[in-house]
Amino acid sequence: MSELVVQDLRMYYQSRRGQVRAVDGVSFTLAPGKALGIVGESGCGKSSLGITLLRLLPPNGRVMGGSVRLGGEELLTMDEETFRKNIRWKKLAMVFQGAMNALNPVLTVGSQIAEAILAHERVTKEEAERRAKDLLAMVGINPARYGHYPHEFSGGMKQRAVIAMALACNPQVIIADEPTTALDVMVQAQVLKAISDLRQRLGLSLILVSHDLSVVAQTCDEVAVMYAGKIVEHGPVEEVLVRPRHPYTQGLTQAFPDIRADRAPIVSIPGTPPNLLSPPSGCRFHPRCPLADELCAREEPELVEKGAARHRVACHQVSVSGEVAEVRFA
Amino acid sequence: MSGAYYWRRLGYALITLFVIMTLNFIIFRIMPGDPVSLVLSPEFTPEVRQMLREMYGLDQPLWTQYLLYMKNTLAFDFGRSFVTRQPVLRELLARLPNTLMLLGTAFVLNVVVGVVLGIKMATRQGSRLETGVTGVSLFLNAMPSFFVGLLLLLTFGYYWPIFPIRGTMSVPPPTEFWPIIFDRIHHMILPVTAVSLSGYGSWYLYTRNNVIGALGQDYVLTARAKGLTQREVLYRHAFRSVLPPIVTLVFLSLPGLITGAVITESIFSLYGVGRYLVDATLQQDYPVVQGCFFVIALAVLACNLLADLVYGLVDPRIRLR
Repeated sequence: MSELVVQDLRMYYQSRRGQVRAVDGVSFTLAPGKALGIVGESGCGKSSLGITLLRLLPPNGRVMGGSVRLGGEELLTMDEETFRKNIRWKKLAMVFQGAMNALNPVLTVGSQIAEAILAHERVTKEEAERRAKDLLAMVGINPARYGHYPHEFSGGMKQRAVIAMALACNPQVIIADEPTTALDVMVQAQVLKAISDLRQRLGLSLILVSHDLSVVAQTCDEVAVMYAGKIVEHGPVEEVLVRPRHPYTQGLTQAFPDIRADRAPIVSIPGTPPNLLSPPSGCRFHPRCPLADELCAREEPELVEKGAARHRVACHQVSVSGEVAEVRFA
Repeated sequence: MSGAYYWRRLGYALITLFVIMTLNFIIFRIMPGDPVSLVLSPEFTPEVRQMLREMYGLDQPLWTQYLLYMKNTLAFDFGRSFVTRQPVLRELLARLPNTLMLLGTAFVLNVVVGVVLGIKMATRQGSRLETGVTGVSLFLNAMPSFFVGLLLLLTFGYYWPIFPIRGTMSVPPPTEFWPIIFDRIHHMILPVTAVSLSGYGSWYLYTRNNVIGALGQDYVLTARAKGLTQREVLYRHAFRSVLPPIVTLVFLSLPGLITGAVITESIFSLYGVGRYLVDATLQQDYPVVQGCFFVIALAVLACNLLADLVYGLVDPRIRLR
């Protein structure tokens, strides 16, 4: 098992009106067997980060710099054929957003799993089929349903089949992009449990992209909060979610109702996420931040450890010891 | 397969056929003029006239005529042509092979060229090549086939006569096997080109748009993420998922072969079903027109049924267990 190291990764979409800076200088390290949650509002670049790692960019998406290394091997400059054969699905697999549509409606579920195995390993069709059936069983689907089509599966089953598919080649890292978004709460819990169990059993690393803090809190060891293409806060889940320091993270946690607390009103962060064509100067959150001062508008804060070990924050208003004013959004 | 579904389809088709046959009967009865007067020379005496009316059954009450018509039509007995005095069925069958060969070839060419080009260009959406191909295809698709046909005739039959300007074979025809084949192909090139040039475009655009749509689907992104090759992603995932509507369209377009023949065969003076229908209409040769209408209606209904059946085979979501 190897470490995934992302450094200063930048991926911009080229558009007629300029560059959309969807991923703008993202760095993190994912230790083997750990789970990292990436949270943020819609359009903050979290899904773009996922497809950048797998090099599945649309024609207008371009990597502008940085590096992605898995077990010391640079992935961004690897030639396409080698990357396809040796990295995609073999080391880096993905569970896509809205797995409802991640299965081809005109092919059987089983064959879509077997096909992933056949693409990477020299095995017979029978062997691939047998393994696909084992994988289905592993996520709690009757292997007899190998030959069934996606429309014959329920939403939760489809999502679990997609997870089984991601495990087909024993990858080292799984990137799950909103794996439970379209599911109801009960099924969501089942799927999350399946992910956690498998991760522990197989020693996988996981990158879980979600807008749902509770999902991340349940599943991950670490969490990175993204805002406007950048990570603004990163650290162990209990640290970041219990003692959020960045004003944006504070806002996010306040936007979630606490089931045990009194009926406090749910607060939202006023304003809208910035246009990534021309992001604000300095700290990208400053136009929406109640603590912002003149420094925030001028100078971009660095993502550095503040207060606790491995708890990184990019905010001028957080002191070196991690002290920050409590932010109340109206 | 659920039998009930297909029986119901078949039932609808039969009802439709019945309605069409009835209309086919009524149209020719309410048209002005007495059919007999077209066949007969005015010099005939009233007695001879009456005799002929009896021979054609036109003295019978309408109801009896209708029943007789239904019975004969269902037995493919369309009577004799007013003009040639030959049985309509025999004349129709003599011309059918020419029509099928010409339009069958053009149709296969249209579908194959259109679909293959559509798939290829879908992967290069926005490139200069694709923009060019799409533009040209749209332009040709907008051109009526008779116009393209006339242009071709003028250019390659008249100004630069490398192809014959009419007919399906030379007169007199060659006698040996290969020269016959060559002669046939030589005569087919212009008409097939005319039909294909103005016909492949819709297949191209339909395939291109559908494949582009499929390429944007999550399952295609998943297929790419799985590390499949470009080819596998394109054919096994993207194209496979748009196959059902294309196959259906193929079957639904088949009857158009015969109706499309009307124009092409007239322009290239071909001995086929289409021109037969046109000539018969102009000469008010009702038995022929009636016979052609029936055959076309039958073909449309059969192809619709077939399309339903085949759709079930290629799309698992429609397939019934």
